[in-house]
Amino acid sequence: MTSTLPAVTTPTVPAQRKPAPDPGSAGRTTPPRRLRSSRPDLLLCGLLLVAILVVQGWNIADYPTLSDDEGTYLAQAWAVQEGKGLAHYTYWYDHPPFGWIQIALLTWIPSLISPESMTVGSMRGIMLVVSGTSAVLVYVLGRRLALPRWAAGLGMVLFGLSPLSVVLQREIFLDNLAVMWTLLAFTLAASPSRHLWHHFGAGIAAATAVLTKETMLVILPALLVTLWRHSHRDTRKFAVTGAITACALIGFSYPLFALLKGELLPGGGHVSLWDGVKYQMTRPGSGFILDQGSGSWGVFQSWLYYDRVLPLGGLAGALLLLATWRWSVTARALAGPALTVAILAALALRPNGYLPAMYVIQALPFLALVLAGGTASVAHGVLRRWRTEGEKRFLTGGRYALAAVLAIAAGAYVVPKWYDGDRTAVTLDANAPYKAASKWLSSEVENPEDTRVLVDDALWLDLVHAGYRPGLGVIWFYKADLDPAVTKTMPGGWKDIDYVVASPTVRRDAVDLPNVKAAIQHSKPVAVFGTGEDRIEIRQIQATSGGAR
Amino acid sequence: MLTSVFIAAISLALFWMAAFTLWWQMHAWRTPEVLASTRFHRPDGGESLSFSLLLPARHEQAVLDHTIQRLLESSHTDFEIIVIVGHDDPETTAVACDAAERDPRVRVVVDTHEKKNKPKAMNTALPHCRGDVVGVFDAEDQVHPELLAHVDHAFRTTGADVVQGGVQLINFHSSWYSLRNCLEYFFWFRSRLHLHAQKGFIPLGGNTVFVRTDVLREADGWDPECLAEDCDLGVRLSSVGKKVVVAYDSDMVTKEETPGSLMSLLKQRTRWNQGFLQVYRKKDWKQLPGFGQRLLARYTLMTPFMQAFTGLVIPLNVAIALFMDVPVGIAFITFLPAVTALVTFVFELVGLHDFGRQYGLRVRFVHYVKLVVGGPFYQVLLAGAAVRAVWREQRGRNDWELTTHVGAHLNTAEATREDVPA
Repeated sequence: MTSTLPAVTTPTVPAQRKPAPDPGSAGRTTPPRRLRSSRPDLLLCGLLLVAILVVQGWNIADYPTLSDDEGTYLAQAWAVQEGKGLAHYTYWYDHPPFGWIQIALLTWIPSLISPESMTVGSMRGIMLVVSGTSAVLVYVLGRRLALPRWAAGLGMVLFGLSPLSVVLQREIFLDNLAVMWTLLAFTLAASPSRHLWHHFGAGIAAATAVLTKETMLVILPALLVTLWRHSHRDTRKFAVTGAITACALIGFSYPLFALLKGELLPGGGHVSLWDGVKYQMTRPGSGFILDQGSGSWGVFQSWLYYDRVLPLGGLAGALLLLATWRWSVTARALAGPALTVAILAALALRPNGYLPAMYVIQALPFLALVLAGGTASVAHGVLRRWRTEGEKRFLTGGRYALAAVLAIAAGAYVVPKWYDGDRTAVTLDANAPYKAASKWLSSEVENPEDTRVLVDDALWLDLVHAGYRPGLGVIWFYKADLDPAVTKTMPGGWKDIDYVVASPTVRRDAVDLPNVKAAIQHSKPVAVFGTGEDRIEIRQIQATSGGAR
Repeated sequence: MLTSVFIAAISLALFWMAAFTLWWQMHAWRTPEVLASTRFHRPDGGESLSFSLLLPARHEQAVLDHTIQRLLESSHTDFEIIVIVGHDDPETTAVACDAAERDPRVRVVVDTHEKKNKPKAMNTALPHCRGDVVGVFDAEDQVHPELLAHVDHAFRTTGADVVQGGVQLINFHSSWYSLRNCLEYFFWFRSRLHLHAQKGFIPLGGNTVFVRTDVLREADGWDPECLAEDCDLGVRLSSVGKKVVVAYDSDMVTKEETPGSLMSLLKQRTRWNQGFLQVYRKKDWKQLPGFGQRLLARYTLMTPFMQAFTGLVIPLNVAIALFMDVPVGIAFITFLPAVTALVTFVFELVGLHDFGRQYGLRVRFVHYVKLVVGGPFYQVLLAGAAVRAVWREQRGRNDWELTTHVGAHLNTAEATREDVPA
């Protein structure tokens, strides 16, 4: 038997060393060394997970409305599975491809069993794996950031059951995958054992998050703060440089990939990473978020439509925590999430930045943690602050009464709203028009293999399964104007097309797309599903109205 | 296709090798608790063991007296110093006898072997040892006065058969290779050796090593024919289940110097590699009970050769990825070992910073640059030593190539001399 000096086997640190500082604090529940072996934690987390999966999973295919972006990513995942490269149209470095490579992996087995199920509605099921993992990570992270058990559970509930979360996390968005990796990075950074390779792993997870959705880049400083706080003075320089190195090296694989393909810098006749980045950086702004009538205002209101508690409450929680940094233990423990919220809020407040609807996804877990932490802070203030051993009984009773009143008030405000929101999510069928359109195009068109259809990305895979030629037969509508490889196959413009499926997205974007616009103008609806703004029209091109075809 | 598979296989093998080496190299910094456990515990004041300190000296009249005087300053109350000199080396003998006359704790043993080497010298002295524990130092070592008290405490509290203290090359500013050489020692004694102790397979260092006298006699002392007798002793003792404890304290390490020239470093490294090869072929490590232990032993003893191999193949691999027409996926795999090497590089830079902090030495920016730039060249040197070792072993050349020391870590000495290899 050989061994190093005994402290490896015994948890005590030798006397001449300062004991390693506890990331939590005295007087609060310190998280157990191993959550895995803590029965109450497992039980609570498991029960909440089941609840979240049920609410998120029930009716997942029919609500919310299929989004164009979901179609894009799933179609590209399909292209990866089919060995057609990173996309079935030319991959142009719009996003790093790692996101839909993961989607391809997640959908791989289901699509082997039933290839036709590779459509947006049915493949939303895989998002349950992602949001379930994220929800558990929120709980673990909450515990590692020294939240009491109930507060970590509250964070998990806020994250998983807010109607806003339910809507957004059901959709096949890269952001949801990136959030999972980011949460993993934070969880590893806050590892209670402060293990060098956990911190190294945090760097790898962070890089993976960025390669899944590049916007995660802005969160990295908050991750670094978490890592710094949770590393020990004696090993910190190795932990921090290790994490940064890991993150940088993995991150550089993307430009390296472009370099290996000869597409790093712009050049004649090929796409490039440079152009892709330039496109993302110069996207037209959607206005100031607080400027009523701007696009950003609209996006902001659409979030608040689903839930006000999580975005506004979380923001308030973050400000509270940052303001009470000096006095509150919870505030310091939650520095990382609070900083994340602050960074994302500051970016959203850019005067004329581009604010996509899924922007809030990356903030959701941190809003939830910060709100839960703020609640824990308030609870601590009410129940424990200035409490002495010999406090009079009626005072203590008053504390508990106040806490109960606050809890009931909060519940009375939140629960009915969330109940309504979540009930809509588990009952409403928002995608009936899409399904009907898909069915019509599969059954009513005689020779799908020779038919050319402009369609939005969400329906694209449906039509591929129905026998249309992927890429040039069934065409992502905007490619008809924007992709030279597609436009050169339609010298006659709209005349070379047979159908346009005018979904809300197509009608909205057609304004800036001459070929699509012309196709809509020179066509007549042959089938209409749904009514009003959300209707889907299948329009057949009228050859006679525009001359011979 | 076949080329791709071949390249991918080589790259993955290299990656795993580099990754394991990195993993082990960073052992001590895995968690703050592990780092704290690598230190000596503070002695409680009690002393129960007596020490016999072996000090083999050969043509080292310039530094020997200084070393003896420093050893005599030890705070421990019960020890003897046995200076081992050669019968053909009157200058060193004179210095040793001088010291013995001044202090009764110093004794002189004369080694009369025709062909001399360090293990033979120490075996000569072993029967004369009166202490409970035999300690080994080199003639140019700077030993901390508190070391023996700490070692005594470690023996008593852990029930160890062997205690290995830290050895640190300190003259990192002397040249580009001494910088890397110092850092190698730093990672080895500060970190890697602790992992070996924990896993139960350990190649011991050449000095600041303490063995219970009865255990050492039972093992018949050192192997006089082995070029890495220190490594061999560790392997033999740990293979039969003796408990080895390693402790490292920056203020308690034995300070040494790097070889004075590139050629002597090459020779020293050749000897070690050849020694490792001999130990490997002696197969004592096969008695280790655990499969994992045997694997670790096999891997550790082969390391010099793998190191040579990786040093040469990694650049080749990257070149293939960049200039040959291989699929992007394969190209990515070929980058894996290079990525690991880069991570190692970064940790070495941080290690250099830590080294400077621990020893209160001023590490300048230029040293970091030297560390990075010197990396590939050092790798070539290691590869050269490995090839040379295999070649010499193949030709049956087992004689000792001596290392020259210039006393750069001592403020006084400027003499050039030869000594028993470090």
